[in-house]
Amino acid sequence: MLSKSQARAFFLVGTAACSLAFVALTVDTFGQLPSRTNAAAITPEVARGKQLWDENNCMGCHTLFGEGAYYAPELTKVYERRGEFFIRAMLVDPAAMYPGERKMQRYDFTIEDQDALIAFFRWAGTVDLNGFPATPNLMPIAVGDGVAATGGRPQLFNTLCIACHAMDGQGGRVGPALDGVGSRLDAAYLRRWLENPTAVKADSRMPVLPLTDAQIDELVAFLSQQKD
Amino acid sequence: MRFESQRVAWWFFATCMLLFTLQLVYGFILGFAHAGHDVLHDVIPFHTARATHTNLLVMWLLCGFMGAAYFIIPDECDRELYWPGLAKLQLAALVVVGVTAIIGFHVNWWEGRKFLEIPRPLDFLVVVDVLAFIANIGMTVWKGRRLTTTSMVLFFGLLMAALLYLPGMIPTDNQTIDSYWRWWVVHLWVEGVWELIMGGILSYLLIKLTGVDREVVEKWLYVIVGFTFLSGILGTGHHYYFIGTPRYWLMVGGLFSALEPLAFLGMAIYAISMAKRGGRRHPNKVALSWTVGCAVMSFVGAGFLGFAHTLPQVNMYTHGTLVTAMHGHMAFWGAYAMLVLAIMAYAVPLMTGRHLHASAASTFAFWTSNIGMIAMTLAFAVAGVTQVVLERRVGMDFISVQKEIEIHFWGLILAAGLFTTGILAQLWVFIRSGLPVGDRVAGTREGEDGYDAG
Repeated sequence: MLSKSQARAFFLVGTAACSLAFVALTVDTFGQLPSRTNAAAITPEVARGKQLWDENNCMGCHTLFGEGAYYAPELTKVYERRGEFFIRAMLVDPAAMYPGERKMQRYDFTIEDQDALIAFFRWAGTVDLNGFPATPNLMPIAVGDGVAATGGRPQLFNTLCIACHAMDGQGGRVGPALDGVGSRLDAAYLRRWLENPTAVKADSRMPVLPLTDAQIDELVAFLSQQKD
Repeated sequence: MRFESQRVAWWFFATCMLLFTLQLVYGFILGFAHAGHDVLHDVIPFHTARATHTNLLVMWLLCGFMGAAYFIIPDECDRELYWPGLAKLQLAALVVVGVTAIIGFHVNWWEGRKFLEIPRPLDFLVVVDVLAFIANIGMTVWKGRRLTTTSMVLFFGLLMAALLYLPGMIPTDNQTIDSYWRWWVVHLWVEGVWELIMGGILSYLLIKLTGVDREVVEKWLYVIVGFTFLSGILGTGHHYYFIGTPRYWLMVGGLFSALEPLAFLGMAIYAISMAKRGGRRHPNKVALSWTVGCAVMSFVGAGFLGFAHTLPQVNMYTHGTLVTAMHGHMAFWGAYAMLVLAIMAYAVPLMTGRHLHASAASTFAFWTSNIGMIAMTLAFAVAGVTQVVLERRVGMDFISVQKEIEIHFWGLILAAGLFTTGILAQLWVFIRSGLPVGDRVAGTREGEDGYDAG
């Protein structure tokens, strides 16, 4: 039967062996991190973005690399998924972007700080995460990876509009689905709507987005073609 | 209780009960926000409530470990605490730092690093405070009249916990490196050295409550903490799957963390078999319930539910979802909250001289809080699995999925109501037990703790 001194030896030897292995793996990991994490791309602007990410405890609601709280969306691939336009609009006035939905704090970041956060998210999207986040593989209807199948749409539609509106079953449910919107509304109406929703319909909760004329042209042309 | 200085533990335990109650308040704020009623958004936004909820937990558990050490170490080492005054000072300082940190969370002063949100200047104060605690315990052990395995395991657990706080303070601009060190603190605490503390406290309680021979209890203590480190140290790898670290962590983390349930299973079998073997019919039955309950619930919460999503193939989809919250709640409750409540259930009557452990309220508190926590875990499980399927497998939009699962948070709130009822009953028992002034001390030999002769 096992004696107390044998039990002690098992504990000491096992712990020492595992600790040594752990330290060795840590050393090896730190050797690989510069290339795996694209460390060369961590500019002062990216570092500033990380600092803002920490100072405001963004991880208290969001996840990054899957780490954080589960109250707000995962942001690892947000630069790819939503694009700079959306991120900036969200940082400027979060409540306007998801009217009536779960709320985000408003921070009134300066333009430089917005740039830094966007740079940080762009960097985060380039880190090799061993395949995380996984592509939805069960009846995938996702935005993001589903975008490949919707290549005919304007990029801006697939990153910005889709956050609140669905098309072909993809996208958010904050606003109405846009399937067949071209049959219901004409181009002139759509243009006025995109320029200022509340000017067309006083009780609309859609935000006024800082779109350029070229962007409005592109979206109106695309939406007008969406016939039932 | 044999030494006057052991009574200082009561003040630590009182702080525990206070912080624990406050933690529950913040838990409800989070639950209601998830259910779609973020009514305090402008005063206590979600991230403030969350940082407060988790940091209060860490703080009251550490307070509980310190109280447990101040109670156990003099008894094990057969002498008064080396610096009894320092113990009180150190508690007061810890409370000041803690309150400052909590207020800081409400005015956007923190570090956005999960579980380690305490702002950097306060980190240093925590380190100084914990060093004072370690010095006090260390000197008591060093100058003690005897050296037991239980006190050594407890002491080294506490010392390592203090040292492992340091990697979390290494500054970096790289999010991956930041995470890497953060898990050295968080994982190596809860799935490493805290289990040493747990093993030490459990073995003390089992020796006292069951009357099984110390040699037997301590031999198995070595085996169990041996398994804990064998699995837990390299098991840290399950946090290194998807944060930018090399691919081999998938194999290392998967393999070793799959062994972690064995350590917890060992702990459960150990507690149950010692309790069965013990010939002594100790009158403080509720303390034994908490002790055995702690070992069993930590196996279910930390061992079994942890295993449920620790394999990389599963974790790829559950990482960063409410499934983690499901595992986390029962793991912390079973392994550490129940542990602190167990040592309190044993020690408080000895310190105050009022033996309320046979009261209906004590039994009610034990069962109601446990049933409440099981129900909470089920609510989290339903919400978490639904989120994984809809968001990660089907690809539905995040916010749409959150609306789908709001209903399960009403279930969570109901379950949490039950849990809170149990904890309030426990608080009531604690308050009625009174201040640590009663009962004889002088002339008591070991094993004559008021009533538990054996």
